[in-house]
Amino acid sequence: MNTIKLYLHSMKMLLKSQLQYPWSFCLQTIAQIVMEGGEMMAVLLIVNRFQSLNQWTGGDLLFFFGIMSITFYLTECFGRGITGNFAALIRSGNLDTFFLRPRGIMTQVICHAIDPRRIGCIAVGVAALVIGSNQSRVIWTMPKIFLFTEAVLFGMLLILGLFLIEAVFAVHSVKSIELVNAVTYGGRSACQYPIDAFPGPLRVLFGTLAPFGLVLQVPSAVILDKPLMGIDGAWAFLCPLAGVLFFAIMYFVFQKAMKFYRSTGS
Amino acid sequence: MKKYLSTFRMRWKMETQYRGAAIGGIVCQMVFGLILISVYRALYQGNPQSMPLSAIVTYVWLQQAFFRMLLSSDNDLMDKIRTGGIAYEMCRPVNLYGYYYARIMAMKLTGSLLRAIPMLIVASLLPEGWGIGAPTSLPALLLSLLGLTMGLFCMCALENITMGITMRTIDFKGFQALLNLLMATFSGNILPLTLFPDSWQPIVKLLPYAQLLDAPIRIYTGETPVAQAGEVFLIQGAWLCIFVALGLFLWHRNTKKMIVQGG
Repeated sequence: MNTIKLYLHSMKMLLKSQLQYPWSFCLQTIAQIVMEGGEMMAVLLIVNRFQSLNQWTGGDLLFFFGIMSITFYLTECFGRGITGNFAALIRSGNLDTFFLRPRGIMTQVICHAIDPRRIGCIAVGVAALVIGSNQSRVIWTMPKIFLFTEAVLFGMLLILGLFLIEAVFAVHSVKSIELVNAVTYGGRSACQYPIDAFPGPLRVLFGTLAPFGLVLQVPSAVILDKPLMGIDGAWAFLCPLAGVLFFAIMYFVFQKAMKFYRSTGS
Repeated sequence: MKKYLSTFRMRWKMETQYRGAAIGGIVCQMVFGLILISVYRALYQGNPQSMPLSAIVTYVWLQQAFFRMLLSSDNDLMDKIRTGGIAYEMCRPVNLYGYYYARIMAMKLTGSLLRAIPMLIVASLLPEGWGIGAPTSLPALLLSLLGLTMGLFCMCALENITMGITMRTIDFKGFQALLNLLMATFSGNILPLTLFPDSWQPIVKLLPYAQLLDAPIRIYTGETPVAQAGEVFLIQGAWLCIFVALGLFLWHRNTKKMIVQGG
C-alpha cells in the first residue's frame, strides 16, 4: 500500500515540476497530438484507398489502431522511468543512489519519471477507438467493457516488460539497444494492424513471443465480434494474462541483472 | 571551401566510429520495413490498385534505407547554445552557417550510407514481392541519385532553419518537435506518398518534405518518367534556394544579436 502511495506522491510532484513551464508543455502536447494524428491519418488514408484488410473493415482497423495507441502511450506516460532512457540512468551514475534507499529498485525507477505530454497521443487513440467502434457498430456490454479494460491494463504490463529487456541489455552494456526497438516500437507499428495480416515468422514474434496478439488483439477481435484465431468466450478473457506472465518473467530477469550491476563509477 | 570540406571529413570520421550501433539500427529498420511490406501485401490481396505492389515495396525499402537522412540532428550545437560554448564557435574564421551545414551533412550522409548500403544489398536478395525492385532504366537510376543528392542538400538547409529558430529560445524540444511535425507524414515515411488520395498528389508533391526522399524514389520506380525529371529538379532547386536564403538570414540576425551569459 505504501508503495502505491509513494508512486502517486511522486507522480504529483513530477507533474507539478513539468507544469512549471506551461508554454513549453502546451507546445509539446500539441506536437504529440499532431504526430499521433499523422499516424491516424495514415490509417484513414489506407481505408480510403483499400476499404478493407482481409475480413477487417475500416472501422475495425481504427479500433485496432486506437487500442494500441491508448495502451502504448499510457505506458509511456506512467512508466516513463522504464520506457524512457534507462541507459542514461546507468551512464550518469544516478542508479547508484537508488541502491542506498530503503525501497525496491523497480519502485524507484518507475517513480522517477512521468511523461504527461503523452496525453495528446492518448487523446488521438481514444478518438480513433470511438470512431472505429461506432463505424463497426460495437455494442458495449459489461463483459466487453471488462475485457477491454483487462486488455489495456495487461497490455501496459507487456509493454513495460518489453522495455525491461532494453534495461537489462543496458546493465550488461550490450550496445545493441536499438535492436530492442524492433520489438517495442516495431511491435506497436505492427500490431496497430490485425496480426493475421502478417506472414508466419512475424505472426509468431508478435503473437506469442512478444504477445501483443494474445494480450490486445484477441480481446479486440472478440469485442468486434470477429474472433481471431478461433479464440472466443472464456478463453478470450484468459489470453491477456500472457502480458502478466511476460512482465513477471522480465521482472525476475531485471532483479537478476540488478545483482550483476556494477556502477560506472562516475 | 577547403575548411568546410575538412569539417565534413572530420565529422565523417567521427560518425563511422559507431559501427556496432549501426548494425543494431539496420536490423531494427529491416524489421520495420518487413512489417510495412506485409501490411501492404495483405491490403493489396483483396483490393488491387493501379500502382503495382512491387513499386510500393521498393518505395518502402528506399524510405527505410535512407531514414537516417530525415531524422538526425546536431545536438552539440544545442548544448553549446545552452552552456554558452557558442562564444568559442563565433571566434572561428569560418561562416557559422557553412560550418554547421558541412557538419550536419556529414552526419546525415554517413548515418544513412552506413545503413543504406548493407540494407539495400539484403533487400535486393529477398524473394520477388518482398525485395527491392531494380530501377526502370539506367538513366532513371542516375537521375534518382542526383535527386537524392539534391534532397540531401534541401534536408540540411531545412535542418539549419530549425536550428536558426531554436537558437533564439533556450528550450528547443518544443520548437524542434513543431517544425519536424509533418516531416514523418509528408515525407512518405509513415505511408508512401504515392498511396495518398489521387486528388492530393499535385499538392503533396510540391511540399518541401516531398523533395527529400519521395521525389528521387519516384524517379527510381518510374512513377516520374525520366523526361519529367527536369521539373523535379527545378522544384527541388527552388526549395533549396528558399531554405538557404531563409537560413542565412536567420543565422546572420542571430549572430548579430547573440547574448552569451557568463559561466
